[in-house]
Formats: sequence, C-alpha cells, structure tokens
Amino acid sequence: MAAKFEPVLTRNVGKPEALTLKGYRQLGGYEGLAKALTMEPDAVIDEVKKSGLRGRGGAGFPAGMKWSFIPKGKDKPKYLVCNADESEPGTFKDRLLMENDPHQLIEGCAICCFAVSAATCYIYIRGEYTKSAVILERALKEAYDAGILGDNVLGSGFKLNMYVHRGAGAYICGEETGMLESLEGKRGQPRVKPPFPAVVGAFGAPTVINNVETLCNVPHIITRGADWFKSIGTDEKNTGPKLYAISGHVDRPGTYEHPIGITFREMLDAAGGMWHGRQLKAFIPGGASAPILKPDQIDLKMDFDTVAKAGSMLGSAAVIVMDETTCMVRSVARLSKFFNHESCGQCTPCREGTNWMELVLDRLEHGEGTERDSQLLLSICKNIGGQSLCALGDAAIGPVKSLVDRFPEEIEQHVRNRACPFPRPRYFENGA
Amino acid sequence: MPKVTINDRTVEVEAGTNVIDAGLKAGVLVPHYCYHPRLTVVGQCRMCLVEITDNGKKMPKLQTACSSYVTKDGWSVRTDTPEVAEAQKGMMEFFLINHPLDCPICDQAGECGLQDYSFKHGVAFSRFQYEDKRTYPGRERIPLGANVVLNMNRCIQCTRCIRFTEEVAGTGELGFFNRGARVEIGTFPGKELSNPLATCVVDICPVGALTSTRFRFAERVWYLDKKPSICTGCEVGCNITMEQRRGDIKRYKPRFNVEVNDYWMCDYGRSSFERYKKLPRLTSPRVRAEGGNGHAPVVSTGWSQALDAVHRGIAGAAGTGEIAFLGSGFLTTEEAFLFARLADLMGAKNRSVPVDLGPERTIPRYKRPPITGREAAPNRRGAELAGLAGGGDLLHGDGAARCAVLVVCDSDFGQAAYDPETVARLRRAKLLVVFGWSDSPLAQAADVALPVAHHGEKEGTFVNVEWRVQRFERAFPPTGQVRPALDVLSDLLSRFEAGWSQLSAATVFDRLASELPAFAGLSWHRLPATGAALHVPEAQPKLSDQGAETAREASQ
Ligand SMILES: Cc1cc2nc3c(=O)[nH]c(=O)nc-3n(C[C@H](O)[C@H](O)[C@H](O)COP(=O)(O)O)c2cc1C
Ligand code: SF4
Ligand code: SF4
Ligand code: FES
Repeated sequence: MAAKFEPVLTRNVGKPEALTLKGYRQLGGYEGLAKALTMEPDAVIDEVKKSGLRGRGGAGFPAGMKWSFIPKGKDKPKYLVCNADESEPGTFKDRLLMENDPHQLIEGCAICCFAVSAATCYIYIRGEYTKSAVILERALKEAYDAGILGDNVLGSGFKLNMYVHRGAGAYICGEETGMLESLEGKRGQPRVKPPFPAVVGAFGAPTVINNVETLCNVPHIITRGADWFKSIGTDEKNTGPKLYAISGHVDRPGTYEHPIGITFREMLDAAGGMWHGRQLKAFIPGGASAPILKPDQIDLKMDFDTVAKAGSMLGSAAVIVMDETTCMVRSVARLSKFFNHESCGQCTPCREGTNWMELVLDRLEHGEGTERDSQLLLSICKNIGGQSLCALGDAAIGPVKSLVDRFPEEIEQHVRNRACPFPRPRYFENGA
Repeated sequence: MPKVTINDRTVEVEAGTNVIDAGLKAGVLVPHYCYHPRLTVVGQCRMCLVEITDNGKKMPKLQTACSSYVTKDGWSVRTDTPEVAEAQKGMMEFFLINHPLDCPICDQAGECGLQDYSFKHGVAFSRFQYEDKRTYPGRERIPLGANVVLNMNRCIQCTRCIRFTEEVAGTGELGFFNRGARVEIGTFPGKELSNPLATCVVDICPVGALTSTRFRFAERVWYLDKKPSICTGCEVGCNITMEQRRGDIKRYKPRFNVEVNDYWMCDYGRSSFERYKKLPRLTSPRVRAEGGNGHAPVVSTGWSQALDAVHRGIAGAAGTGEIAFLGSGFLTTEEAFLFARLADLMGAKNRSVPVDLGPERTIPRYKRPPITGREAAPNRRGAELAGLAGGGDLLHGDGAARCAVLVVCDSDFGQAAYDPETVARLRRAKLLVVFGWSDSPLAQAADVALPVAHHGEKEGTFVNVEWRVQRFERAFPPTGQVRPALDVLSDLLSRFEAGWSQLSAATVFDRLASELPAFAGLSWHRLPATGAALHVPEAQPKLSDQGAETAREASQ
C-alpha cells in the first residue's frame, strides 16, 4: 500500500453531523445519486461492474453482475432488498455504517434502485438492531421530506419508496431467500433455487439483494469512478475499501476500514496486537462459517480469493482471534451449537447433521470422546457439504472440518485425557 | 419434447418435467420423500440427489431431482454412481439417527418410506451410539383432529402434510413450528385438522408419523389383501383399494385416477364400509309360509325354494294387479340391467331408482374443476341407463298398495328402508320380495328375503356423476348362502326365459354394451383401468348432471 489509505466508508464515523441530512450533504453526500440520475441506468450498472465491487455479505458475488441479471422491461415491479440482518457471529460492521452514516446507505440503495429500475426498496434489518432502525427511520423521513425519496427523486422523475423492515431475530433470515420469505410475512426459511431472486424474488418479482456494506460502496464508485475504486485492493477481482470486524483476544477489538487485501498481521497490529501479549493460536478470517486458520497464515492477504486459496473464506470479514489459552474443541462446539440453534430445520442434512455435530463435539469436550470421533465428524461434514438446501449447512461444517484437519492433536488430547486439557475460563462457568 | 437419459434409458418428456417424473417414465425410481406430484416442490428432504451431466458437462454438485427440470435436450442423469449412493446413504443415516425405530408397534411398518429406502439405500448399523435420540415428550399421540393422530417422534419433517392442507384442501390447519432439530408439525392454535379430506395426510405421510384413527392398530399391513374398487359413499365414485383380511374390510385407500379423484378421497367415503360391519347381515333366504300376506312367520330355506316362491308369486300375479320394481343406486350396472330385463318380461312400468341426497362431497382435481357428488349412492346413473327408469314414487303415496308383487333390490337403497312408515307403505303390496345384504326393517317385512352380496363381495361397474363407467373387482367372496345379486337374477330370469342362466358380470356388461347406445363400443375386458366416458346424448337432460332432483322429477 503506497499512499496512506483514507477511510471511505467510515469517513463520517465520529462526525455526528452526518446523522442529519444537512450535515451529510455538507460532507458531500447525495452527489453520487445526483450524478447517477443524469446517467443511463445501464451506464450505472457498467460503472459498478467495472469497479469490481464484490458483495460484502458473505459470498463475494460481483455486485454489478448481479444487477445486470434483473430483466429489463416493465411488466413486473422490481425490488431491492438491502440485507441488514447482520447475524453472523463476530460480524458488526453494517451496524457501524447504519448507526453513523445512515444516508450513505440510503444513497447507495437509491442508486441501485435507479440502475435496475426498482421503485421499492426494503432495508431488512436485524430485529435486535433497534438503534440502527431508529436512526435509519429518522434519516428516511428526512430524505422523503427533502424530495430525495418519493415520487420525484431529486426532481428527476424517478419514483422510489424505501422502507425499513425489522426482522424477528433469526440468523437464517440473513440468507437471501429466507429473508424474502420473512419479508413476505412467512416463516423465515430459504427457498429452493432456481429460480433465483433476480427472476423470482420478493412477491414473485425480480429482486436484487445486497449487503449494507456493498451498497454503501456504490455512491463512492459513482462520484469517484470505477478506476479510483479499482486502484484500491489486491488485484482486478479484489477491489475497494473493506470493513473488518476484529474481535477476540486482541487489544482493541472493533471495526476497522482497510484496503481489501491487507494482511492479517497488519490488521492485527492496527488492532493493537494480541491482548496481554499472548500468543496467537488460531483465527477465523470471515465469520463463524469460515474454516479456522493457524498462525502460519499470519501474512495472509485478507481478500476474497487469497483467503479462499488458503482453505477458508473472507465471508463477512469478521475476524475472530484466539490466543493459546483457547480450547479449540470447546470453541467449535460452541459454534456448532449456534448453527444447530439457527438451522431452520427444513432440510435433512442441516437439521440432523448440525445437531449431531453439536452432540459429538459436546461429548468430546466433556472427555467422552472416542478415537473414531474425528472420522465421524468428517463423515458428517461430508454428508452435509454441498447437499443442504441453503448455504447454512455448508457454513456449519467450515469450523468443524478445520478443527479436525488443522487441530487433530487437540482432539486426541481430549480423548486421551478423558477431559478437556484447558482450564475452564471463568466466564464459561455458568454453563455457556 | 426434450429427451433425457436416466441411467442409460432415454425418454422424451414434456418440457418442464422434473427428473423424478422423468425417471418414473424411464422406469427408474429416484428415491424421494418431500416431493409429491400435486404439491409445491420444496427440495427439503434431499433424498433425491442425482448426478446430472448437461451435454457432457457434469454439474459440480449433486442436484435434487425434484427441483431439476428438463427443459432441453442433452441431460444425462445418473442415480447409480458411487457418489449418489454415498449421498443417499448419508441421508438415510440422518433420517434414522433420531427416529424411534419403533416399527414393531407402528402402523406404517410394511409400507413405510423409511423402511423401504433404508433397505435399499441405507446401512445396517448405526454410528449414533453415544448420543440420546431427540424426542418430543408428550407429542407421541396427538390427535390433530377426529381422524388423524400425530406421533412427532416418527416425523421426518417432509412437510407434505402441511402443503396438502394448504394447497389441496385449502384449509391450512397445519404448520411447521420451532426450528432446527426441534422443528415440529402441529395445528395452528385454535384449529384442528377437520377438513373433509383430512385423512389424505395419512396417505401422503411417508412414515408412521400420521396415522388414521380408524385404522390404528387394526391390522399389520402385510396381512391385507387388496383389490381395486370404487367407493360407494357418493356418485363421484372415487377409485379406491379395498383392503381386507378374511372378509373383514380394514380400510379404503384412494387409488390414483386423474380423471376422477386424482390421489384423494374424502373422510366420509373412507368410513363408508363401516355399515357393512354395523348393520345386521341377511344370511339365508327366507320365505313366508304360503298365503300369509304378512302375518304368517317367515322361515329360512334354501335358494331353490326361495326362487321357486318368487317365480310362483310373480307368475301367479299375472292379471291380479300391478308388478312393480324398486331398484337402487347401489346396484351394479349389470345387476340393474338384469333387473330391468325381469321388469321387461313382466311388463312392469314402475321401476324407479330412489337415492338419498347427501351432503355434497367435493374432491379437488389436477387441471380440472373439482368433482362433486350430491347423491348418497354410487350408481343411480348406471341403473337408469340400464333400464331402471320410469313409474311413480312408490316410497310416498299408495302406489305399493296397488301392487300384486313388489320386488325391491336391494334392501339398503337408502334411509327409507329403515323408516317404519315407508316400510309399512311398501308392505301393502300383496307379495313383497326383497334382495339385500343387510337385514333392514324392509327385509324383515318381506315375504321373500334374498341374501345377496355387498359391493366388496361382487364385481361390476358403476357410472359416476360425470358419466364415467368404472369397473371394480371383487375383494373377497361372500360367505354362507349369500350370492351376488347378478347370479340370483340370472337364475330367476332363466326360470322365465331361456338364455339367461349362469351369466357373469363380463357377459352381461358386453351384452348391455351391445344394446345400449351409451355404452357402444365398450367391452368388459378392454375397459381401461381409469374407466371410460359414456356417450350420453346432450338431448337427455333428465339424465344429465343437473342433479338428482331434476332427474328424478323427470322420470316420474
Ligand atoms: C445462513 C446465511 C446467513 C446469511 N446472513 C447474512 C447476513 O446476515 N447479512 C448479509 O449481508 N448476508 C448474509 N448472507 C448472505 C446472503 O445470502 C447474500 O448472499 C447476501 O446478502 C448478498 O449480498 P451481497 O452480494 O451484497 O453480499 C447469509 C447467507 C447465509 C447462507
Ligand atoms: S441448510 Fe439448514 S438453514 Fe438451510 S434450508 Fe437446510 S435446514 Fe434450513
Ligand atoms: S407428519 Fe408425515 S407428512 Fe407431515 S412432515 Fe412429518 S413425515 Fe412428513
Ligand atoms: S424429493 Fe427432492 S428434496 Fe425431497
């Protein structure tokens, strides 16, 4: 990274005036939208395509390409649903954006809607995010009052309505089709694909679904151009600024903005290094579903493709750091408990498999494991992997597989000792 | 139409057919639980994973056959690769780890999707050895409604039952509650599963989670003898399988016929065989001592004495008064035909078919309007076409009093046979002959009572509300002195005229088909399994679908 990186997405964090429309405008806000409205919708899509912006919600799908899948023509309404369900354990980046710079998100959504000719946008927000919801609602009202939303967006004739829809607190409603079901007032469980949301989405109509952070990038791409955006990052396919939510045994956990592709070591340093000078034992690079990595990957470039090559995934870029006192078996057992708890239960491998994995890992952690359990866990992972209805099943096996593959000695220790070799930290004592 | 190859067998299918249905066409069964041809595809059970190669390019993951639609040429599907077998094995293991494996006390055992696929695709030992099975304490026998009981421990969460109530019955009483491994089926608060089609969820439940209150613990299914039959609950004529053991009918199951009842039948129809058990049975012919006219006692006899008595009575009545025939909507078309020939021989004009009007029974169908029955008998139309039409209303008024002979076939034609006043009115005929399987008050009042088979004990055809003639088989033989009415009528006819003895249903059907224009071109042996539409001229509104009332009024 030659020149010093200036924050883009978080540039208004810590500036309370950004919460008001007036303040946001003074900071250069809504220029992107104004500019986009003078362009052809397809030109907006092309610009986003050219920027190389990839989805920040987990899968890293190119945003511009996703937009271009929306059929043209006016026979059906189109929707944008902004995924603000942020429930992946360790992830707390979208919240920062919504609480500190709500208009940035509204602007990004508006540009996307204009590009795909959607007249309605829902921001599906995690139920527990009360503060974000209140702030967004207030910002929406201001935007309506100022003619930025409504029947005549900035006097351009483009019509756009935007709503905040609060979820009821389920991880699975962050999965895009689970979210659509929930939005439609049904039980939040994923749909079979195909058809994909770009063809049959919300209320049976073509729908774009993008993460908060993804959409927040859009105004900057429009104002500063795809080339500027591409100049940040590792390569053509990993571009732009990126938020990393770092937590665990680091000195200053929090959300940091870096150019995408910064190494894990640099990121750790920025967060003050390991707490109490402890040793790094393991880290999760992309939220609970990402396979766990070992310290030998400390110089890993934290972008989509490099992390994938290292046998994990960037996911939501929620980085969880673990020091040498951490019991990997217990950590993974806890993650498995989460996935079992959050599985919607409709499809067999995920419903039964996540439950079984939790039981086996619990048994191992309590010293009741056998030599065959590693094999058993791998085999359960294999029977879930690629065979569940949605990606939650695949997510659930990430940590388990990496435990067996990368920390076999720790499982062995649990089996041999007939007990967990690690001191039980005090904060685990009440049964957590 | 696109071509698709499944395990080396190539078939042509309509564009948009999914791989499970295409497989069936090619003779390959792709194992599946959640898919049902009449319910939304949800891809939940993951049992139907297959390998698909699209024009030489193998798809990266296994695909669910239920949600993979053939839309173009070039797909090659395999259900027999090691990878697919491995996936099926894995899925079977998942289904079984938390299943109670209580087959010995489960009604579904023997016709259970879990048993069948375990046998074919599963493994014989369990790796789920140290953990406790998930159970749903207190949810082992929850009545969801009057006719269906849920045992949640056995459920495999395929949601077929939920989708059935939502999409077919349209009542939506059932839902999925909770999530993850604790997900369960149940009725919404304040609702119970009480729609008229409720028991269909038992049929489509692949396992023993849903059982029928009526059939629970009634019989191990491998002891059941099954024959294709027709429900007699109403004039829709749902195709059924009559399932019995040693003459004891245990249950009716709907039998697929896309033209009539699709995969379904109503709960009332399912219970309609119970009358065969509840009502007293007429077991031997009974004849009143000569000249009794309702006062001398009746005595049990053999068939030849009884038929002699009928023959004598009818022959002797010539000139002393009217001879009347009262048919029934429960007769087979063939029986009605012989009954009508007898009436012809006697020159009898009065030969009506009374049927009760019941509550409406409606069955939803695929790509066709729903079919509705309003009469509480399966074959008024067939009986009328066969010649039992005309004359006055004997059930009301004093028509019977003018009769020298009144022949009723059969004793259970409707509620009137149990109504003392109607019985008394019919009794005023000088000689009352009653055919019947039940010993109804009417049969008890008869001078000659003839024990005949009910529809489980005979074969024949019924004509349904849409003028479709459908054949059913005999499920089991009648016992003792009971004989099918067709036999008896053919015996009786041959006492008056040569050429009628020893007729089978097949011969009578072919004969009526050659005589009656509505049946032209049909033959017993070539009658399709789904039945055949009759040629009923538009010009016969009295026999058309306008409902029984109109038809009966017109025939008077
Ligand atoms: C189980 C599961 C949970 C998910 N949760 C979230 C979430 O909380 N927030 C999010 O943005 N994407 C989540 N996703 C990813 C979405 O399905 C979807 O890919 C994403 O919202 C697309 O937006 P993007 O292309 O901008 O990343 C989740 C996916 C799965 C399978
Ligand atoms: S993978 Fe899990 S969360 Fe996704 S559909 Fe299946 S059961 Fe539901
Ligand atoms: S009760 Fe039967 S039909 Fe309903 S979900 Fe369970 S297994 Fe499927
Ligand atoms: S039949 Fe295909 S997933 Fe159930």
